[in-house]
Amino acid sequence: MSRVAPTVSRMPSVLSTARRLALSHEGVLLIILMVSLLVLATQTDRFLTTDNLLNQCRLMAEVGLVALPMTYIIITGGIDLSVGSILGLCAIVLGVAWKNYGLPLEFAIVLCLVTGAAAGAVNGYFITRVGVPPLIMTLATLALYRGFAEGVSQSRSVRGYPEWFYQFGQGELFGIPTQLWFLIAALLISAFVLSRTVFGRALYAIGHNETGARFSGLAVDRYKMLIYTFSGFMAGLASFVFVSRVSTTRSDMGTGLELDVIAAVVLGGTSIFGGTGTIIGTALGVVLIQLLKNGLALTGVKGDATIMVIGVVLICSILITNFARSRQATEKPGD
Amino acid sequence: MTDGRALLELSNIVKRFPGVLALDRVSFDVRAGEVHALLGENGAGKSTLIKIISGVYQPDEGHINFSGNTVRFNTPAAAQNNGIATIYQELLLYPELSVAENIFMGHAPKTRFGTIDWRAMRSLAREQLASLDIYDLDVNQQVGSLSVGNRQRVEIAKALSQDARVLIMDEPTAALTGADVERLFRIVRLLRERGVGVIYISHRLEEIFELADRVTVLRDGACVGTSQVIDTTEDDLINRMVGRTIEDLYPKQLSRIGEPVLEIESLSRPPLTRNVSLTLRRGEILGLAGLVGSGRSELAQTLFGITPAQSGCIKVNGVECLIDSPAAAIKLGIAYVPEDRSTQGLIKPMSIRENISMAVLKEISNGNLINHLAERELAQKNINQFRIRTSGMEQKVEKLSGGNQQKVVLGKWMASAPDVLIMDEPTRGIDVGAKAEIHRTMSELACRGMAVLMISSELPEIMGMSDTIAVMREGRLVASFTRGDATQEQIAAAMMSGSRSESDEGLVDSNSTKGAAA
Repeated sequence: MSRVAPTVSRMPSVLSTARRLALSHEGVLLIILMVSLLVLATQTDRFLTTDNLLNQCRLMAEVGLVALPMTYIIITGGIDLSVGSILGLCAIVLGVAWKNYGLPLEFAIVLCLVTGAAAGAVNGYFITRVGVPPLIMTLATLALYRGFAEGVSQSRSVRGYPEWFYQFGQGELFGIPTQLWFLIAALLISAFVLSRTVFGRALYAIGHNETGARFSGLAVDRYKMLIYTFSGFMAGLASFVFVSRVSTTRSDMGTGLELDVIAAVVLGGTSIFGGTGTIIGTALGVVLIQLLKNGLALTGVKGDATIMVIGVVLICSILITNFARSRQATEKPGD
Repeated sequence: MTDGRALLELSNIVKRFPGVLALDRVSFDVRAGEVHALLGENGAGKSTLIKIISGVYQPDEGHINFSGNTVRFNTPAAAQNNGIATIYQELLLYPELSVAENIFMGHAPKTRFGTIDWRAMRSLAREQLASLDIYDLDVNQQVGSLSVGNRQRVEIAKALSQDARVLIMDEPTAALTGADVERLFRIVRLLRERGVGVIYISHRLEEIFELADRVTVLRDGACVGTSQVIDTTEDDLINRMVGRTIEDLYPKQLSRIGEPVLEIESLSRPPLTRNVSLTLRRGEILGLAGLVGSGRSELAQTLFGITPAQSGCIKVNGVECLIDSPAAAIKLGIAYVPEDRSTQGLIKPMSIRENISMAVLKEISNGNLINHLAERELAQKNINQFRIRTSGMEQKVEKLSGGNQQKVVLGKWMASAPDVLIMDEPTRGIDVGAKAEIHRTMSELACRGMAVLMISSELPEIMGMSDTIAVMREGRLVASFTRGDATQEQIAAAMMSGSRSESDEGLVDSNSTKGAAA
């Protein structure tokens, strides 16, 4: 077989590239984000300050960390509802292992991460080997893991961690909150893996057509097992950051986290039916929700109204994207 | 009963789709009380013609005349209200509902209070079935629990409950067994006596000779001619349908058959793979014939590791090996072009480039990192080699025609450079031109030393392409022939004979045996 010369993909003009980007879901989100920033900044002078923004980054780290594997899972057409409960369980394991069993805190942190990964692996095992639908399986473990957390903690909180431990949740590194470094690193790695590797390509293939992926020789079950385990692990990491930030461990930590995470991922343009989505979109979704929450609170909007605004933004962003896509489709008919 | 006047008459119908002239001035008519068969290869325009009659599509040019008036059916409902009923290949019944509910779906008898009159509905359903000489169906039974043949009878009853004067049947016997075919024929004859005009589509020529009064042949969107069935012969119809002889259609080159590549011994995975032994040699095309459900695809999927074997032995190039996943099969040089392109063969919302590299991603990557340049080269090479008609490698596969989609599947597996290529119904649902290209490719691959296992339900394809023909029935290999040794009748007999001996109704006669052969 003769070598075929590499094909030169036609360089689209800068203008049309810009147009395409603006019409993509990420582009729409970015525009909404900018508009929100401007509007909120004119409403209160406490919003657009370095201190406030950095503090918001601190607050969104936990949702952000868990949203990365959630993007993977939703791209495959699955869901993980148990992340909030895993976070609670891991926090309790961390506290109880250190306080009640007297393990070194470093070891307790490792144990916390291992617990998270194991909890995720249990989800993955039942979903791939037994064939339980992800929604049902993780709904069950949502209750199960929270129950474990409450049983282990006996409803007692753990506090009084050593000073160095608070560095992770409350400290800074080069003027940036410590957990933001974690989030940025995790984000870059996740984005790279999703867009450049065989693993990432396989996730999209599974989401579009699992049977087709299987018939192409992709190790569908192994990949799914991996992402649910990864999801549990990241919930463990988030729990450790969370405990460090709030200086205490309680069994109800992370209650309702799953909904915040899923909202951010879906707002970021990941289709709940699987097959599409990007890490950049998810990142924008996380940031947008956090800024809206904070900005609206600062301008004196009550909590209930904030949730309503977030709901409206979610719906609008999807409507705008759909509108842009259908415009594009009618401009280039046939094909 | 035929009174000579047309009940439904289409004249000079033209229908265009983007880039395709689907129907080119086709004229067609059906009279009250006749069975008019419509014949043609896949892609000849039969489906388009039916969809125009039943109001799914509107013609771009031409007229439709129905019982003396010029009509235009803008929706399927308009055609139905005029008494034109269609029974599609995929039955459109609600499996969770009862027979009676299905028959009266959308026009159930009502009580004075506007609620459904269940008692009337059941008795009307019983009457409707009785008028078709159907007495063995319980109107309260759930449709999902019925056999395919019985579901079809329900569908016919449903169509007739709306006073159909023209009934269109699209390959009604494709999924039926012998006894059900005979029952269906009785109903069709009954309808003919009642003055219904029946448009009957089938690939099985024998059925047309048994049932139809007139036959119209379509080829490449044009009408090749209408004639009385008694004035024509089978060869004549084939010639008109294909427009060429079998030799042109199956460009089989003789290849040198070498040493065995794939040897299987007593391979079993019940219920549909039982004790199968087979040898596939380099350069050989082995055609696997059999009825739908005889275990051919199951055997292929066992060889490809989707459903690993429970016992038996597989040797590849003389070495015994274990195939427990598709990845293992691919590593051993086995490729599988599956029967169901949409769900098994392709990931349709993804691009041509992504589909072609799907099975060899690991190979063209540096470790886990996809080499995008190599991927693009591979895609372009395949697009050129298989002459895939596309606007570019980034085009979504779902936008391609069936034939081009199949070429993408073929390209995807050629990228894995297999020694053994398993092709399951490689030309189902694709047009004549693409079909010939795929046959030519298959033949070329064999000449280059690849071993091909071809599963096909079209006997001409099996006979035209294979060096060796094997026949499966009920999960077992029951016969094998070498090229030129077998006649269609012998192969068909081997495919059918088991069901004949096991049939408790004794109704599987020579007609249905031959029916499967067409």
